[in-house]
Amino acid sequence: MHKLNYYLKLWLASVRYSVTRTLMFRADFLLWSTVELFWMGINILLVSVIYAHTDSIAGWSKYEMLLLLGTSMLVQRLLIGFFWANIHELGDNIRTGKFDFFLAQPGNLMFMASTRKLDLDSLANSVVAIALVAYSARELGLSPSLLDLATYAFLVGCGLVIHYSFMLTMVSLSFWITNAQGLEGSYFTLFSFSRIPREAFRGVTQLVFVWTLPVVIVSNAPAQTILYGFNPQLCLWLAGAAAFWFALTVIVFHCGLKRYSSASS
Amino acid sequence: MISKYAQVFLVGLQSNLVYRWNFLLRGVFSLFHLLGVFILWSAAFSGNATIGGFDVRQTMTYFISLIVLQFFVAAANEDHQVSDEIRNGLINQFLLKPISYFAYRFTLYLAARLVSGFLVLIPLAAAFPLLRDYIVMPTEPWRYVAAVPALLLSGLIQFSIAYCFGLLSFWFLEIQGFIMLSYAVETVLGGNLFPLDLMPAPIFKAAQYLPFYYQMYFPAAILTGRIGLESATSGLLIQSAWVCVLFLVSHFLWKRGLWLHTAVGG
Repeated sequence: MHKLNYYLKLWLASVRYSVTRTLMFRADFLLWSTVELFWMGINILLVSVIYAHTDSIAGWSKYEMLLLLGTSMLVQRLLIGFFWANIHELGDNIRTGKFDFFLAQPGNLMFMASTRKLDLDSLANSVVAIALVAYSARELGLSPSLLDLATYAFLVGCGLVIHYSFMLTMVSLSFWITNAQGLEGSYFTLFSFSRIPREAFRGVTQLVFVWTLPVVIVSNAPAQTILYGFNPQLCLWLAGAAAFWFALTVIVFHCGLKRYSSASS
Repeated sequence: MISKYAQVFLVGLQSNLVYRWNFLLRGVFSLFHLLGVFILWSAAFSGNATIGGFDVRQTMTYFISLIVLQFFVAAANEDHQVSDEIRNGLINQFLLKPISYFAYRFTLYLAARLVSGFLVLIPLAAAFPLLRDYIVMPTEPWRYVAAVPALLLSGLIQFSIAYCFGLLSFWFLEIQGFIMLSYAVETVLGGNLFPLDLMPAPIFKAAQYLPFYYQMYFPAAILTGRIGLESATSGLLIQSAWVCVLFLVSHFLWKRGLWLHTAVGG
């Protein structure tokens, strides 16, 4: 408990730092919020354009698809808001030797290196993603119970852990490969799969992207909870996947750490 | 005069070949992107023989052609390169030399696209057995004749827009936000996300008067049979007009930017 308090205090200090920094560059904050809002609008536009020509995609109606899209955006906004800047910089820090800075800090290295900065414009836009989910649910005439909402929040949290772990594992490869920037790019390509209904995947693609890699299920499971109610199997599946991927990233990160030799002369 | 830029082109080729693995990796990832597009659109087509008058094979041909164009024509990081050279003072050397910075940058862009364009053909060739059934190319010869100027002008528009955004560094310290905003607009109005003809008719009509339409959609639509001869002819005229406008804008930004620029150092 004492340790938890300690890390909470550390994290709150990071929050203060990020808020102060954002207030210093207000125009930047507004510009980036607009950019992100624009990108979210583009994804909604894609769904709208396709549904102007068809009634269903893999059995999902327009508003069901928008609910899925909103959920996918929510997980992505939260990931970018809480972790992206840190994880993205981590690769550079390992390459340039600036990672030394974290070695001297009083706390768990993985925590310190991945929670230092918050991206407030992404967090602000997560409200837009929630609004899209709420709007779609209303259009579908859904009234999810408190249990469904709590499960949705839990599954979004699991999705966040999975994405964080996947991303950190990719970047931790920088401990072995000098330039892992291309690998980070693969993450965003895979993320786009989370906006597609699970039923659209068939054969090999189902085996790889639904059953093996949890890229599709991270958004489909919470969306299905709102659409069809609490499903214990989905919860266990996603919680299990989150635990597995988090354990994997802890192992990879710490194995990589043993190889770190700084870059200073 | 020509040999000066020929040397720049050769240097550009060599320096881009250094990054051949990065380009190749990007090419492989674009196949994953194509897979996502394929899964989504196949699901949309199930139960519909055509969408917007085109079947699934014609639609997939459009998206495959976009990938090829992306690597052969689309500006990659030219905006950042121009921006970096302004912020780091590296453009100072060009102010003292008998060389046009626009032409110098455009030559490097041509070299980079040549390398990335040919490298993307490797993963595409590897995936060809899987893609073969989804490629239907129209047979009218005029399309291939019209595609040549359309592609060249598209390259000029792509480069000029990126160059203009790079020049904003004369006024702003950080231009990444502007670039991402423009990229978002280009993604939609350039037809990267979906064929523009699927949009409501008035919006599609309006898009034809914007430069973004001519960045990707226009050459891809000529090559994949989405527009007819009449639209292609009028499109080439509008495309040429946009090249002239963007050239004038870039020249204006360069001149005005240099008034503000301070070259420091010995």
